[in-house]
Amino acid sequence: MADDVSIQADVTVTGEISPRTLHLKMLRKQWQIISLQVIATIALIGMYLEVVSTYVVGSIDHTMLFDTIEILIGDQLPIGDWLTGEGRDGMSRFYVPIILGLLLGGGMALLAFQTPKVQQRVKLGFIITLIVALVGQLLLSWLTGMLFSFSLRLPNSSELSSLEWPLLMIMSLTILFLYLLPVIMGVRGIWGLSRRSIAWAIGFTLLFLGIHAILAFPLINGQLGSYGDSVNIIGAQFSDPTIGIFGLMLVTKQQFALIMIAVLIMVFQESSYGVIRYLEYAYRLPESCKRDPEYVRQMDNVLNTHLRHTFGFLGLTGIATTIALGFHSVLLGIVQDSTGSQWAGQISESIELSLTYGLVISAAMFLSVMAILRFFVPWERIWGFIYSRRNPEVITQGKEVVEI
Amino acid sequence: MWTRKASFTFTGGIALILIGMMIANLQMMILGLTFIAFIVVNSWISGHGDVEVQRTLSADNLYKGDDLYVELLVTNRSNRNTQLLEVYDNIPHEMKLRSGLNQMRLNLKPGESARIRYVLRCPLRGHFSIGPVSLRSRNTFNLGVDEMYVDHHSDIVIFPQIKEVEEAFLRSRTPKMYTGATTLRTPGQGSEFYSLREYVPGDPFKNINWKAFARTGDLMVNEKCRDAVTDLYILLDSRDIARIGTVLKNPLEMGTVSAASLAAFFLKRRDSVALAIFDDSLSYLPPDTGDKQYFKILSALAGVSPKGNMPLQAVTNSLSGRFSRGSPVFIISSCEGDGTVPAAVRDLVGRGHEVTVLSPSSIDFERLVSRIPRMSYEVLKLERQNRLTTLAGSGAMVIDWMPDMDLSQALMQVRGY
Repeated sequence: MADDVSIQADVTVTGEISPRTLHLKMLRKQWQIISLQVIATIALIGMYLEVVSTYVVGSIDHTMLFDTIEILIGDQLPIGDWLTGEGRDGMSRFYVPIILGLLLGGGMALLAFQTPKVQQRVKLGFIITLIVALVGQLLLSWLTGMLFSFSLRLPNSSELSSLEWPLLMIMSLTILFLYLLPVIMGVRGIWGLSRRSIAWAIGFTLLFLGIHAILAFPLINGQLGSYGDSVNIIGAQFSDPTIGIFGLMLVTKQQFALIMIAVLIMVFQESSYGVIRYLEYAYRLPESCKRDPEYVRQMDNVLNTHLRHTFGFLGLTGIATTIALGFHSVLLGIVQDSTGSQWAGQISESIELSLTYGLVISAAMFLSVMAILRFFVPWERIWGFIYSRRNPEVITQGKEVVEI
Repeated sequence: MWTRKASFTFTGGIALILIGMMIANLQMMILGLTFIAFIVVNSWISGHGDVEVQRTLSADNLYKGDDLYVELLVTNRSNRNTQLLEVYDNIPHEMKLRSGLNQMRLNLKPGESARIRYVLRCPLRGHFSIGPVSLRSRNTFNLGVDEMYVDHHSDIVIFPQIKEVEEAFLRSRTPKMYTGATTLRTPGQGSEFYSLREYVPGDPFKNINWKAFARTGDLMVNEKCRDAVTDLYILLDSRDIARIGTVLKNPLEMGTVSAASLAAFFLKRRDSVALAIFDDSLSYLPPDTGDKQYFKILSALAGVSPKGNMPLQAVTNSLSGRFSRGSPVFIISSCEGDGTVPAAVRDLVGRGHEVTVLSPSSIDFERLVSRIPRMSYEVLKLERQNRLTTLAGSGAMVIDWMPDMDLSQALMQVRGY
């Protein structure tokens, strides 16, 4: 009996009532919001790693650029190899820079929530540090040199060489920053609730994919000479598929990586924008509504649905794309198995089918069938029926919050 | 219906596929296909479940300036989730939200309900209708949107404000012929004995009951029943000219407030009150007493709007036959733009009515919304003064009612009448 009576979620052990409200301070700590932000961050990192592993690593990654610069200047760059990932192989080159990017993005998000005065001070401090790091040593040695020799002169070569270290350091950091721009901006956007930063992260990734696509275009790639060889080209024709569902092999590992990039971009976009959208809505509510338990309950409902749909619909999108890409082989397999005709075998070996046209046409066919299915299969009624079976009693409003 | 986002996603998807095919780039094609697949998968869920809406109001009738508490109960009667549903209760633009919000974003499970509570301030009188309830359903990723409304209305009447009238001792000089028609059990000036009470300083000596004094040794006075019921006629000017001023402060608004306050005061005294409103036509409510009449008068005043240009003499000519002999007539009019006012007032006074003209100063109302040159204002004011003086000369009590003057303060001018 005593077990049946438990303390309400909003009542603390000491008996104090701490009702849930839709104030941003409280809402930002709500598990659904944090979950969405974590999902967006994971999707961002996943997307970045997929893009990097598919196109950048061993092809045009930052360590290769640093190596080239070191050869050109004939010296080591001032930034440590453990930070840049130089000397490591494969994806491990990006692990430390990604952590740096996450920290920098997180720091920028944290700064966005400070008062304008604090923000101004931090920015000012950063600029002063940058100036001091750049010309501080030069000025100190040059001015003290002039002071001790009692002569007015221009800085000499040894004094000017003190500029080398800070310039190389700033250049290295800038290169690293450019490589990590999607991560830095993405994290800043997710946790700092900035639409512009999220758009930057997505836009930069798409821009990279677009430039890569142009550089990988055979006509242009041929013009690049030896530089063109370093562009990682993914051919339109693939080997036999190895990944699939229900025993049907649909796509290759490489194709699957490309699908993952596309899906993760959308997961990142929808989750991060979703958080901002819901927080904006809560922010605009008048004070009385923020304290209204009904609004709190409905916000919970909306956020839970968003979380479910993020997994459900975006997962289905990935599966649908996978099936669509392998649909031509499925179709031909069915025809071949059912009729045993030679025609199906001949068609399946034709280059037109495995190349873009056949692939896209069959994929479009599959997606069209899926789209038409909505008129024949009442998905919502089916899910509603399942829900009703699972919750036979009429849903009553649970008192999850205390009315004040 | 697709949203702009869905259209862009679809167009972008198609463009990426085509460009990908052109330059044989699989990443672009896959990105495009994923965009299309995203649209297709999301199109499986469209619209929303059957939603039932029920609105409860704290009152059907209110006084101007009062607060109205509204509760909207939204219930999902279907076997599916509503998806992201924006519920918006349409409220008249004359009403202002005082607390809460008339909209909510919700997602109701089958059988679930949500309550939207809000408080409206009603600063204007009139007949209003709250509703319909607009619904906008979106899917989670804002790719599809459907808009519709539930045709559910709640009618409400906002009566004019009732001001305290304490000093308006208006009474007919001529007792009503059929006194017995209404039984009065209130003390007042009259001839019939009501009760004995102890003498208080100020009571006239003629009322002292000497026999009772001899019997008890204390000074006792006779108290009388009110022996006459007054028929009061209120003529309200609702012509187009009465709209001069702001929405909240204009001759008509002040006129309705004064008419309602006077009616309330006299009905409380168990007098009979009649109301005539003239605009492009004449609406007449015959004299009667009681709460029912009070409600009728307030309802009539709630629906008044400025229109038309009926002259006052046309009103008095058509109603003079219905006026009780010697009854007081209250004319609430700015007396602007009507040359028949002096003649009408003269006619009423000539028939033995006690005429009181309560005249909101329309020039001062006009000054609230537009800048009138000082000279013009002085001239207009002088013209108005002359007009009111003419009315006063005809034998009417004239009250020049300034916009910032309280009703009881204005009525002080007829004190002791």
